[in-house]
Amino acid sequence: MPARTRPIDKFAQAVAKCSTEASVYGKCIVADYNSVHKDKCLTEFMRLKDCYMAAAKK
Amino acid sequence: MNPATARPFLRYLPTRRRICISRSYAVQSPGNPTLQIFNRHTKYLQKERAAADPERSRQVDYLKDEVAMRLSERLLDINRHFDHVLDFGANSCNIARALTLPDPDPDPSKTSSPPLSTRLSHLTAADSSRTMLYRDADLPFNKEINLTRHVLDDEESLPYEAETFDAVLSSLSMHWINDLPSVLAQINHILKPDAPFIAAMFGGDTLFELRTSLQLADMERRGGVSPHVSPLADVRDMGGLLQKAGFKMLTVDVDDIIVDFPDTFALMQDLQSMGENNAILGREPGAIKRDVLLANEAIYRALHGNEDGTIPATFRMIYMIGWKEGPNQSKPLPRGTGQVNLADILGGGEVK
Repeated sequence: MPARTRPIDKFAQAVAKCSTEASVYGKCIVADYNSVHKDKCLTEFMRLKDCYMAAAKK
Repeated sequence: MNPATARPFLRYLPTRRRICISRSYAVQSPGNPTLQIFNRHTKYLQKERAAADPERSRQVDYLKDEVAMRLSERLLDINRHFDHVLDFGANSCNIARALTLPDPDPDPSKTSSPPLSTRLSHLTAADSSRTMLYRDADLPFNKEINLTRHVLDDEESLPYEAETFDAVLSSLSMHWINDLPSVLAQINHILKPDAPFIAAMFGGDTLFELRTSLQLADMERRGGVSPHVSPLADVRDMGGLLQKAGFKMLTVDVDDIIVDFPDTFALMQDLQSMGENNAILGREPGAIKRDVLLANEAIYRALHGNEDGTIPATFRMIYMIGWKEGPNQSKPLPRGTGQVNLADILGGGEVK
C-alpha cells in the first residue's frame, strides 16, 4: 500500500502543473512590488487558481 | 443656634470626618516589563509534535547538525579542559552528537586526533521539550559522551546555581526567547569566572525570502499583512546585549547558510518538522489560507527563484562568544594608549 499523501503534497503537485500561470502572476507582482494592494493582479491570480483547481481534480 | 453648643460641634466635626488620604504615585513594578513576542507554550507544542515523528524529524536535522558542528569547532580554539558544560536549548542534543564526531581539525597532519567530547567531562543538555530532548537517547553517540538530559520547565528561567558551569553552549534555540537580556544575564550568572559562553542563533535576514514573499502574497490577496516569520535579533544588537549582560571579550560574527528547496511547500514542511514554525503571539490562528500559499509560491519564484527552478532559503547564523569576567583575564587597553599607528602596519593610504 502506498504511503498516505499529505494534503500539502497534493497541493504542491497540483500547483507545480501551473508554472506558466504562476510565473505570469509572479511577474505581475514583482513588476512593482512597492505598491502592492489588494487584488492588484486579480485576473492573473484567478487564471492561476483556475489552473490549480483543474489540476487538483485530475 | 447657641454658639456654645455649636463650638464643640465645629471643633470635633473636622477630626471625626477626616478622610485619610493616602497619596500614591504610579510606580513601576520591580524589573522592567518584558515584551512578549513569542508564545512559549505554542513553541513547546510545536517541538513536541515535530519530535513525535522521529524519522521525519531526523531527516530535517541537516541545519541543526551543521550549525552544531560549526559551533563545536569553536571549542577547538580554547585550549582547556571543561569539567561541566551546559548545552542550553539542546533540541535533540545536536551539540552532543557533533562533539562525538571525529575531530574536525582541518590540519592534515593530525587527522587521528580524538573527538571533541574528550575535552569535556560532563555535558548537561537542557531543553523544555522532553520528546525532542530524548528523541535520540538510544543512539550510539550517547555512550561516547557523559551526557545528562535535563527537561526545563521554562527556558527563560534557568534553575542552576551560580557559578556551576565551565562553559555554556547554545545552538539554534535562543531565537525563540522572549526576554533575551534576562536569559543572557542568567547565563552569565551560572558560569564560573573566566568561563566562555558560545552560542549560535538565527538572526537578521534569516528566511528573508519567505518573509517578503508572504508579505506580498498577504498584501495582494487579503489587503493586509500578518506576521509569519519571527522578528530576529540583528548582529549589531547581539554585541550590545552581551555587553549589557556582563560578558567580556566579545566575538560576534555571522555566517550564511543557503539551502535550496524544490518549492515553498517543501521549505515550509521542513521548517515545521524542525519545530521551527511560527509561534508569534500576534499571529493569526489556523493555517495560512490556500490562496495565500498559492500566491506565495508564485511570488517567491518570481522574486528569489534560482534559474534551475529551485528556490533558495537563507539562514543567517550569528555566532557569539562572550567570557564571564574573571581574575587575570586579559582586558582591552584603555583608549588612547596605542603606540603604533595601525595604518603603518596594515598599509593603506590617506583617506582623501
